[in-house]
Amino acid sequence: MKSCRADIGAGGGRADRPVGLRLLDLAERLRAGLFPARFSVWTPYLYLLPATLITGILAIGLVEMAETSLHVLNRATFRLDPAYTTANYTAVFAKPVYLHIMLKTGLAALLVTGFTLLLAFPYAYHLVRTPHHRLRRFLLIALFLPFLLGQVIRAYGWLIVLGKQGLLNAALELIGLGPVSLIYTYSGVVLGLVQYMLPFAVLLLAPALTAIPHEVELASHSLGATPWRTFRHIVLPLARPGLVAAGVVVFTLTVTDFAMPEIMGGGANDFIANAIYDAFFQLSDAGMGAALGIVLTVFASLIVAVAFLLVGVAALGHGAQQKPRVRP
Amino acid sequence: MRRGRGLERLIVATVAFDLLFLALPTLVIILASFTAGRIVAFPPEGFSLRWYQAILEKRAFVDAFARSAYVATVCTLISLPAGTLAALALARWRLRHALAWQLYLLLPFTIPLVVSGLGMMLLFGRMGLLGMLWPVGLALTVINLPFMIWGVAACVNRLDPDLENAAANLGAPPLHAFVTVTLPAVMPGIVTGGLLMFILAFNEFIVSLMLVDARTVTLPVLMYNSIRSTITPDLAALSVIYILVAAVTVWLLDRLVGLETFLRSR
Repeated sequence: MKSCRADIGAGGGRADRPVGLRLLDLAERLRAGLFPARFSVWTPYLYLLPATLITGILAIGLVEMAETSLHVLNRATFRLDPAYTTANYTAVFAKPVYLHIMLKTGLAALLVTGFTLLLAFPYAYHLVRTPHHRLRRFLLIALFLPFLLGQVIRAYGWLIVLGKQGLLNAALELIGLGPVSLIYTYSGVVLGLVQYMLPFAVLLLAPALTAIPHEVELASHSLGATPWRTFRHIVLPLARPGLVAAGVVVFTLTVTDFAMPEIMGGGANDFIANAIYDAFFQLSDAGMGAALGIVLTVFASLIVAVAFLLVGVAALGHGAQQKPRVRP
Repeated sequence: MRRGRGLERLIVATVAFDLLFLALPTLVIILASFTAGRIVAFPPEGFSLRWYQAILEKRAFVDAFARSAYVATVCTLISLPAGTLAALALARWRLRHALAWQLYLLLPFTIPLVVSGLGMMLLFGRMGLLGMLWPVGLALTVINLPFMIWGVAACVNRLDPDLENAAANLGAPPLHAFVTVTLPAVMPGIVTGGLLMFILAFNEFIVSLMLVDARTVTLPVLMYNSIRSTITPDLAALSVIYILVAAVTVWLLDRLVGLETFLRSR
């Protein structure tokens, strides 16, 4: 900055302004020309414009999917028939294959949500309540490191753990137990998903637990309640918004998951997302795949909507009053 | 008092199990990447760096890595201004139909990723954008933008509007107030959001799978294609790169905004 000032030299009082501010002055004049003060009512909408356009790409993509879902595959030409029909939707609910996949996906989502919340709640509670600063940092790092690893990497890790010559079988062999095969099984998919969802659930639960004043627990304790009763009647009810938010996020993420069943399931444990993908790229029936996709979208949105009604919009949205607790 | 021990023990035991459960795939990958053998097996055969050398020599891996870095950079550069401005708009003004705006901007979270990916594949295909790399970066912005908005919004709500009023009172024109007061106040949120956007795009798999072809394949998609045949240790070495990138990001998040921020009640 100093050298700049020396260069400007004889410019008078204005030249004392650092170069950064002088650039800002220039930009300000440009703004005043393009967007005068009387337009300022529009400022918020100008701020929203880029994000709106970007999200618009998704909205148009969804319309493309909806449009595609209304055409059936012409088996003679292997192209979509130009005529509009709802036959794909009828087929989605009539075909036993798809019903079976939907049930399997739904069951997996329930199992994953249950296990994840059971494992996440104590972790989040300990994370928030521990008096040891070092331990809290360690728990946070242990949580964030896997959180920032994608599903492909984590699924690959599980393949190494659970594979035929994997860690688990090597350990079982040491204690004289025969090889088990968890790889390419339904249980393997559920296991991988629980591990994947755990950090999401903890990060959604922790702020809700922070919001519970420790004094309430201490009061309950000094009034003679056992820790179990305090937990059941004080902590759990107060943590409900966090539990609902975490549950909804984990459930919808699982119901719509593709990578875990694809990699850990080995083709025999498909979820709805895999069926959609296969319809597009293996059966070349984009219409059917799109119809399945729209059904899945409606289902996932309904779950989110029910959650909105249960805990209020602010807990899930980018609320101005309350901080967002969004679905990642 | 005595009965309380049970609950405490249960909590500690679960936390210990969680720690192992969370770390296991990562630890196993690191271990497997140093094997001297030709396949991943336990216990690993000897110690060597041969698989790290192997991935560096394999052109396809290096290219895919560069593409992933490019895509993540494009994604972050678009998200930073778009997400920051949207978060500011949502949090600082009483918008009409604020709920509708919020729901609209949460669309990427309510639409399943498979559907988003296929929808954009159809759209980009129609526009002749498939086969190029920058649209992949744009698509990853589209699906992850709520993270950026969330990161900044969490900060904006702590921003004191009186600060901006004071700046205006002292004669700062709008842009000056924005650059010298608003932006610095929400900077932790911008940093959090930006880091998240980069690492999510760098790891993104499913939407990229729909949008890339053999010439534009990104690293997670290439890894997925390789996993399907056999489990070879070169993928473990590649995964270690991801683990390193994640570790650096955690370190940066901690240094710049502090990991404890994520525990704050909202």
